[in-house]
Amino acid sequence: MASDLAIVLFLAPAIASVASLLLQKARIAEYLTAAAAILDLIVSIPMLIEVLRFGPVLALHGYILIDTLGAWVILCIAVVYALSAIYAVGYMRLLDEDERLPLFYTLFSGFAFTMFAACVMNNVGVFWIAIELTTLISTFLVGFEREAESTEAAWKYIVVVSGGISLALLGTVLFYWGGSFVFGPTYAMTWAALHESAAKVYTPLLTVSFLLVLVGYGTKAGLAPMHTWLPDAHSESPAPVSAMLSGALLNASMLGIARFLSVVDGTRTGRFAHSAVVGFGIFSFVLAALFIIRQTDVKRLMAYSSVEHIGVQALGLGFGGVLGVAGALYHMLNHSLNKSLMFFGSGNAMRAYGTKDMSGIRSVLRTFPASGTLWLLGAVGIAGAPPFALFLSEFTILRAGMAGRYRWAAILFIIFLIVVFIGFLAHFRRMYFDEAAEPGSKLTGLAWRAVPMWLAFAPILVLGLWWPQHLWSLFTHISTAMSGGAQ
Amino acid sequence: MILSNVVLQILQVLCVLLLAPLLQGFILKAEERVQRSRGPSLLQPYRDLWKLFHKECVFPDSASWIYWIAPFVAFTAMLIVPILIPVLTDRPLPLSDMGDMLGGGMVLTLGSFAIILAGLDTGNVYGGIGSSRAVMLGILAEPTLILVLVGISLLAKAMLPFVVNHLLLGSLSVYWSPAHVFLILGFFALLLVETDRLPIHSSTHIEIYMIDEARILEYSGPLLALLKWASMMKQFILYTIFCNVFLLPWGMSLLGSPLGQLGSVLTLLLKFLLVAVAVIVVETVQSRLRFYRYQEPLAAGFLFAVLAIVSSQLL
Amino acid sequence: MFLAHLNSLEASIFSSLAILSLLLAFVMLGSHWLRNYVYAFAAESWLIAALSAAVGYFGGYRELYAIAILTALFRGLVLPWLLVRIIGRLNVKRELHAVLQPSSSLVLGALLVMFAFVIANYMNHESSTAGHVVILALTIMFSMKFIGFLMLSVRDEAVSQILGLLVLENGIFLGSQILVPGMPMLIEIVILFDLLIVVACFGMLVRFLLVHAGTTSSRELQRLVG
Repeated sequence: MASDLAIVLFLAPAIASVASLLLQKARIAEYLTAAAAILDLIVSIPMLIEVLRFGPVLALHGYILIDTLGAWVILCIAVVYALSAIYAVGYMRLLDEDERLPLFYTLFSGFAFTMFAACVMNNVGVFWIAIELTTLISTFLVGFEREAESTEAAWKYIVVVSGGISLALLGTVLFYWGGSFVFGPTYAMTWAALHESAAKVYTPLLTVSFLLVLVGYGTKAGLAPMHTWLPDAHSESPAPVSAMLSGALLNASMLGIARFLSVVDGTRTGRFAHSAVVGFGIFSFVLAALFIIRQTDVKRLMAYSSVEHIGVQALGLGFGGVLGVAGALYHMLNHSLNKSLMFFGSGNAMRAYGTKDMSGIRSVLRTFPASGTLWLLGAVGIAGAPPFALFLSEFTILRAGMAGRYRWAAILFIIFLIVVFIGFLAHFRRMYFDEAAEPGSKLTGLAWRAVPMWLAFAPILVLGLWWPQHLWSLFTHISTAMSGGAQ
Repeated sequence: MILSNVVLQILQVLCVLLLAPLLQGFILKAEERVQRSRGPSLLQPYRDLWKLFHKECVFPDSASWIYWIAPFVAFTAMLIVPILIPVLTDRPLPLSDMGDMLGGGMVLTLGSFAIILAGLDTGNVYGGIGSSRAVMLGILAEPTLILVLVGISLLAKAMLPFVVNHLLLGSLSVYWSPAHVFLILGFFALLLVETDRLPIHSSTHIEIYMIDEARILEYSGPLLALLKWASMMKQFILYTIFCNVFLLPWGMSLLGSPLGQLGSVLTLLLKFLLVAVAVIVVETVQSRLRFYRYQEPLAAGFLFAVLAIVSSQLL
Repeated sequence: MFLAHLNSLEASIFSSLAILSLLLAFVMLGSHWLRNYVYAFAAESWLIAALSAAVGYFGGYRELYAIAILTALFRGLVLPWLLVRIIGRLNVKRELHAVLQPSSSLVLGALLVMFAFVIANYMNHESSTAGHVVILALTIMFSMKFIGFLMLSVRDEAVSQILGLLVLENGIFLGSQILVPGMPMLIEIVILFDLLIVVACFGMLVRFLLVHAGTTSSRELQRLVG
C-alpha cells in the first residue's frame, strides 16, 4: 500500500513536468503543477502513517527505502511544494513572461521530483546523485529571471554547492572503503550496510569520512561557514522557488546529515560527530543572527533566517536523544511552513513596492491588510516567539541541550535567540509602522497569492498551541530507529 | 666467434664517431619533413664535414693556445665517453670502470668547458655572448644532471650505468616505478637543452639569438669540423645514455659476436629514431622561449629529479 | 581485500600513474593559458583511464575496462572538447592573476600535498607494500581535492572554476579506482554521466553570465554582497 502511494507521489510531479514541457501552455502548466502538488501532499500523509504502522518499505531491488524519517521529510517537502505551487500561479503571472512559464513549471516539478527521490534512496551513492540533480535543476530555477543579479546568484550557487557536495562524494567513497574491510570489495552500500559496518571500521577513517560528509552536505544545507551561496540564491530566485529552496531543499540535505549521524552514532567517533554537528549548528546560528541585524534586503533577511533555522535543526540533531531529534524534526515542518509564509509575504511586498530594499517598503498594512497581518504574525513566529510552532520546537531543542554535555551551546543559543528576535522584528517594525511616502500598488491575482499564506499560517498557530501526541510518538519512533535502538 | 674486448671497445667508439652525423642528419631532415618541406639529405652532415676538412684554416690574430687546443680537447672528450657507457654491449668492458656516471658527466662537461673558454679567448663580442649564455644554461642544467645521476644511483644502488641497465632489464617493477618515470622526464628536459633543441636554442643564425653557434663563430676549416663533429657526438652520446640507461634498455648484445654487434647497432638506430621523433614533436609544437624564461623548463627538470629522489625513498 | 595482495610491479604502475596525474594537476595550477589547463586535464583523464584499465587487468575486475574506455572517451575527449568550445566563445584566453601568482600557488599546492599526506597517514593503519599504495592513493585523492579548491579560490575566470570542480571529481575517481575498485558499476557510470551533465549546465550558465552579467570573471561579479 505504501509503495502504491509512493508511485503516485512520484508520478504526479513527473507527469506535471513532462506535460508542461510538451504542451508549452502557461495556464495549463500552472494548474497542472498546482494539482500535482496538492495530490502529493494528500498522498504523503497516509504514506507516513502506513510506514509508521507497518515498518519501512523496500522497493526496486532494495534501491528504494521508505522509512519513517524519509516519509517525514517527504511530508515537509510536499507541504512546501503544494503551497509554493499555488502561490506560483499568482506570482509568476506578475513577471509578464508567459512564454517562458512552461519551462519554469517543468523545472519546478522536476525539482520537487528529485527532492522526493533523494528522500527515498537507499543506496548512499544514488542519494548523492539525487542531491546533485537537485542542484543542477534548481540552478536554472534560481537564474530564471535572466537578470544580472540572478545569473550571478545562480553561478555562485552552482559553483559553491558543487564544490561542497564533491566533498560529500569523497566522504561517501571513504565510507564505502571502510565498509569494504568488513563486507569485501563489492557490496551494495545501503544505509543498513553502513550501520552494520560502522562499528568495525578504523576510527580515524570513520572520523574523517564523517567530517567530509558533514561539510559536504552541510554546504548544501546552508550551515555556516559554507552558507555563502545561500543569501544570494534564495534572494535572487522568484519567491516560490525561494520557498522551495528554503523549506524543502535544506530539509533534504539535513536528511543526509541525519542519516550519516545515525550511522556513526554508537561508535567510538559518535561523540566527536555530535560535537561537530553542534559546532556547525551553533556557528551558523550565531553568524546568521549577526548578519540579520545588518540586512537591508528583505529576501536576504529571509535567507539568513533560513541559515539560522538550519543551525537550530543541526543543534537539535547534534544534541541527540529523543528530545533533540524530536525537536529537530518538528522544527523541519514548522520552519517549512513558516518560511514559506515569509517568502510569500516578501514576494508580495516586492512586487507591490517594486523594490527589495526594506527602506522602500513601508506601511505594509495599508497595501495588504489581511495578508500583511499574516506576514507580520509569521515574522513574530519565525523569530521564535510563542504561541507559534517554532517556539515549541526550539524550546524542545533547548531542553535537550540543557540536559546533556552541550550546555554552553544551549546558553549561546538563548542569547543569540534574543538577538535574532530583536533584530528581525526591528526590520519588520520599520516596514509596518513607519510612514510611507507613497503606498504600494495593488496587483492582480491576490487570491492566488494570499491563500497559501493562510494555509501556511493556520498550522503554525495550531501546532504552536498543541503538539499532537501522534507526532510525538512518531518522533520517538524515528529517534530510536536513528540510534539503532541503542537508546 | 666472440670478439675480444679491445675490439669491442674500439667498435663502440667507432660507432659513436661514425654514426653521430647520421643522427644529426636524420633530425634535421625529419624536422623539415614535419613542416612539409623537403629538407636536406640524410648524409648532408657527412658532406659538410668533408667540405670543412678540405678548407683552409683562418685564425684571428688575438687567438692564443686555448684557441688551438679547445677543438682537440672537446673531440677527445667525446671519444672517451663512449668507453664508459653501454653503447653496444650489455656487459661492462674492461676500461669502462675508468669512470662511473659522474665521471662520464664530468668528461662531457669538460668538452663544453673547453669550447666556452675558446669562445672567450679571441675577444670577439659574439663569442662572449655565446659563452656567457652557455654558462648560464650550464648553471641551470648541471644541478639537474647531477640530481638525475644521483637519482638513478639511488635506484640501482651503484654508480655504474651497466648496473642500472641490468636492473631495469631485470625488474619490471623498478622500470615502472614513479622514481624511474620522473627520471626519464627530467633527463628528457635535459636532453632538449644539452642538444641545442627548442624551446631554448634555435637554429637561426641571427647573432643576437645564438648561443652555441656564437661560441664557435671564430673557427673555420678543420678546426670547425672537429667542433661540429664533437657537438654531434655529444648529441649521440646523450641519446645513448637516455636510451640505454633510462628509457629503452633492451636490445644490446650480450655475447659480443659480430652479428650481435650489427644487431646492436641497428637496434640503437631504431631506439634513436623513436627518441628523435619525440624530440622533434616537442620542438615543432613549441616556439623559442624568451631569455628570462629559460629557467622554467629547466626548473621543471630539476623538480622531476627531486621528485624522483623523494619517491625512491618513500615508496 | 584487493590491495592486500599487490606485488611490487602493480604497486609501481599504480603509483606512477597516480603521481603523474597529481603532477598534471600541478601543471594546471601553474598555467597561464586556459587552453593549457584543458589539455592538462585531458591528459590527466587519460592517465586515470589507464589506471582504471591497469587495476582491472591486475585485479581481475573486467568491468573496469568498460569504465576505463568510458572515462577516456568522456572525461578525456568529450569534456575537454566542450570546454574548448566554451573558451572559444568567451573573449578571454588568459588568466589574469590578481590574487596569487602561479609560482606561489604551486608552492601552496606543495604544502597542501604534505598536509594531505599527514591526513592519509592518520587515516590508515596498514604498513605493507599495499599500505604504501593505499597511503599514496589517499594522499593523491586529498591533494587533488585541495588543489581543486585552491584553483576555485584563487582563479577568477569562470572556465578555471569549472576546471577546478572537474579536478575535484578527478581526484575522487582516481582514489576510488585504487581503493574501491569493486564499487558497483552502476554508481561509477552514473557519476561519469553526471559529470557530463554538470559541464553542459556550466556551459549554459557561462553563456548566460556573458550575456546578462557581461563578464565571466568572478572578480567583477560583486553585485550581491553582505
